[in-house]
Amino acid sequence: MKTNKLRFIVFLLMFSLVAVACGGDTADDAAEAPDTTEAPKETLAAPATTAPPPEVIVVWAEQKVADALNPLVGAYEAAAGVDVEVVVYDFGAIRTDVQTAGPAGEGPDVFLGAHDWVGELAANGVVSPLDLGSVASDLFDVGVTAFSYGGEVYGFPYATEAIAMYYNADLVDSVPTTWEEAKAACDAAGTELCVGAPGGGGGGDAYHNHPFVASAGGYVFASEGGFDASDVGLDNAGALASAEYLDGLVKNGTVASTDYGGSMSAFQEGRSLFWMTGPWARNDASAVNYGVGLIPQFDGNAATPFVGVRGAMVSAFSDKQVLAQSFILDFFATVDVQQSMYEADPRLPATKSLFAIVEAADPVAAVFAASAANGIPMPNIPEMGNVWGPLGDAMLIIRDQNYGTNEETGVTVSSATDAMKLAAEQVRNAIAGG
Amino acid sequence: MKTSLILRYIFLAVFNAGVFYAIPLSIAFESWFLLVLIIINTILINVVYLTDRFKPMKWILPGMLFMISFVVFPAIYNSYVSFTNWSTGHILNKTQAIQVLEDRTYTPEDQKGVEFDIYIFQDQNLDFYFFADLDEDNLYFGKAVFDEDISEAIIATHEPSLKINGEIVAPEGFYQLSGKEQIANAETLQEMSLVINKNTRAKLYKISVFGSSTGRLSSTKQLYTYDESKDALIDGSNDAVCPSDGDNFVCQGKEIDPGWRIFVGLENYEKLFSSQRIRGPLNLVTKWTFQFALLTVFFSFFVGLLLSLVLNKEKLKFQRVYRSLFILPYAIPAFVSVLVWKGLLNPDFGVINSWLGPLYELLDIEPIKWLKTKESARAAVLLVNTWLGFPYMFLITTGALQSIPKELIEAAKVDGATGIQSFWRITFPLLMVSISPLLIGSFAFNFNNFTLIFLLSGGGPPVIGSEVAVGWTDILISFTYKLAISGGRGNLFGLASSVTIIVFGIVLLISALSFRYTKRLERIYGNI
Repeated sequence: MKTNKLRFIVFLLMFSLVAVACGGDTADDAAEAPDTTEAPKETLAAPATTAPPPEVIVVWAEQKVADALNPLVGAYEAAAGVDVEVVVYDFGAIRTDVQTAGPAGEGPDVFLGAHDWVGELAANGVVSPLDLGSVASDLFDVGVTAFSYGGEVYGFPYATEAIAMYYNADLVDSVPTTWEEAKAACDAAGTELCVGAPGGGGGGDAYHNHPFVASAGGYVFASEGGFDASDVGLDNAGALASAEYLDGLVKNGTVASTDYGGSMSAFQEGRSLFWMTGPWARNDASAVNYGVGLIPQFDGNAATPFVGVRGAMVSAFSDKQVLAQSFILDFFATVDVQQSMYEADPRLPATKSLFAIVEAADPVAAVFAASAANGIPMPNIPEMGNVWGPLGDAMLIIRDQNYGTNEETGVTVSSATDAMKLAAEQVRNAIAGG
Repeated sequence: MKTSLILRYIFLAVFNAGVFYAIPLSIAFESWFLLVLIIINTILINVVYLTDRFKPMKWILPGMLFMISFVVFPAIYNSYVSFTNWSTGHILNKTQAIQVLEDRTYTPEDQKGVEFDIYIFQDQNLDFYFFADLDEDNLYFGKAVFDEDISEAIIATHEPSLKINGEIVAPEGFYQLSGKEQIANAETLQEMSLVINKNTRAKLYKISVFGSSTGRLSSTKQLYTYDESKDALIDGSNDAVCPSDGDNFVCQGKEIDPGWRIFVGLENYEKLFSSQRIRGPLNLVTKWTFQFALLTVFFSFFVGLLLSLVLNKEKLKFQRVYRSLFILPYAIPAFVSVLVWKGLLNPDFGVINSWLGPLYELLDIEPIKWLKTKESARAAVLLVNTWLGFPYMFLITTGALQSIPKELIEAAKVDGATGIQSFWRITFPLLMVSISPLLIGSFAFNFNNFTLIFLLSGGGPPVIGSEVAVGWTDILISFTYKLAISGGRGNLFGLASSVTIIVFGIVLLISALSFRYTKRLERIYGNI
């Protein structure tokens, strides 16, 4: 990037020289110009003892994170003699633009993203492995696992997130440990809806529905030492049992057919007793007096939400690999930075040192952390792209009780079991069909 | 001088100044294609506007250039993509992929995770020296070398004298770099390494400005070396040869990421038509796309025409107020009103179902699960699109109605025709002459109305039993989107592009046919 800029300046000056030369008898100007063209070259070759222009570390981050980072980078800039340029980027666009801008020489040095991008980014060769070294001992395993792909770690996890269960503290004291008790609590409170969870109401959402798939032994991909795309567990005994269990919960009115917006407004207006979603919604939930508890168990098995992890990654196309690594490990990973980031965007801390601080100050965060501890990271392999659609659709069929026969294909889905088997088949076909 | 001439010269000066800025820019970024384009355009524009020889071109050229850059070029680029394997794992070109692979180093298993303090020194010649503090018996000091000089490098020696009681003591004539100075030289230092023995080297990994920098061990060899004569990678860790299979290197039966982009000819199109799992949903979606586009045009034209006829009465009071009111849906951005409609249609809390509540009770039927069943979702999509589309039709038919000569209708009246007769025999045919090209345009637009489908139903509800994720209200373009982002391993840009090319072909064909039909209409009714 820097070389490009430099070359641009040189070209521009050469061009203006030509233009000036064409202009005729302005020999003085022409004589002056070469000095300016040589100036940038000189600084490049300058010995270490003279101060070269500061290196620029370009960081792509979403708005909230950028707001948290911006006041902090000054300290690092002063200590390290670099410029840290935090570019505000739409979160989702980071994933795609890193892949196009990087190869074009325009990308960031460091970018902050979600762990489930790692497989795709690594497969495309646009992210560099990051050796966490001594920093790793301060991290929760789930974060490191989430960023591992093909035997390498690709990012420094700074935040984890997993869903748990909000409850309306005016109407109930806590979240019960079983779904039956949850239903009983709703009946006692007399709310219109019981549990509002995204993933129904026409809006497919495999993420929020994951506890209904995986809590009794089901899984998306087997995860013995890295996710295995050839082992899909959406239709194993555990997955089918918990899908049927969900079917029962929908039929008896425990789990309402709501999408994200519907579940949110229902909770905010006091029409539902519980809301199953993540820590990002705490501001939204505060419309009522809320508390947070663990998602009820499935036949004695703790609910396993998907854990999403956010982390800092190094672009493979950065020509400042060591600087980027130093920025992450020597500055970004420090407790102070982590704490400020947490204050700006309260996601669950991924470092033990920050968790110790947060736990004491914020018991709600501790509940989300406990929920995340029961969960598993979302598979980060590129094949996961095949799962969201079919799994979200299958869960939507169950959540909306949308069973029936497709007259075009003649396939009948008459039960939760059928829906899960279908989803598993779709995923396998898509992976095999490339 | 005339003002027009002055304006023309000002425009040309500004334009050429912009070109002077853009040319070095595109040279610096090595975008040769763009450069050629800029030069050709500049010559064209200067020739056309400086001489008076190409008068018609003066009017046509700007439009033509815009059309080429915003319509023709994307279309060509899109068809180019449809002939490639562009997808996750194949987004780089071969040179880039090889570079990424060759940049990889590896660390033998037993040295993985070894982390040690590293100190950087400079001698009088400003050469860099590394001091790697592995442990008490391994304090390596030596001159750091670039990768290409590793074979001739002097192997580092154990120098316990440099660390006395935990303090680093710079040797005579050497200067120890602080963290800040290391950072200033990071781009040089990251290319250097200290050779500890024949197979191992120490590299700077993290520069710390708060403590001591740390290093990592790695093999002196790079992980992969590209052998051009064999078109294969050599795996340095086990000397395996990894031949290329066209778009990936294959090491011991395993494809090595990243691969690269290649031309695959018609492969994407073949997949589209031969793969049962794509063809089935594609049929279904194509059928609905036609229905959706046709019905949308029909309903919105019907409603628009009806309203314009009603409001065309001359004696009507507040005519202008009514007319402005009916334009409103057109004035609100679609992505706002669609989301509002989505809320209204919510079967549980939406306004529509609560209004219809008494009716459901009266008829003793189940409330409609808007957007959740095939029929209701399709009906909702059509309803909302009619609402979005009728103001446009209202607008154009009102205009067209006013341009029909009143004498014709009066003459018909004199001849004893009823109102209905004169509408069907005179007004409507004349209307169609001017309106039908716009109807075709509206059809083509709705054929690709991604915004509505994506925002209102997301293509849902899902088609049960389909092998790829597809919904009942998915039209071709939203299906393409689903296909593009949820392929076998992530994104399938190549395959999705081939679908868009097919969509393009369909729209082109229909438009061409309908315009021929319109011409016939003009011949029949044009001379009334």
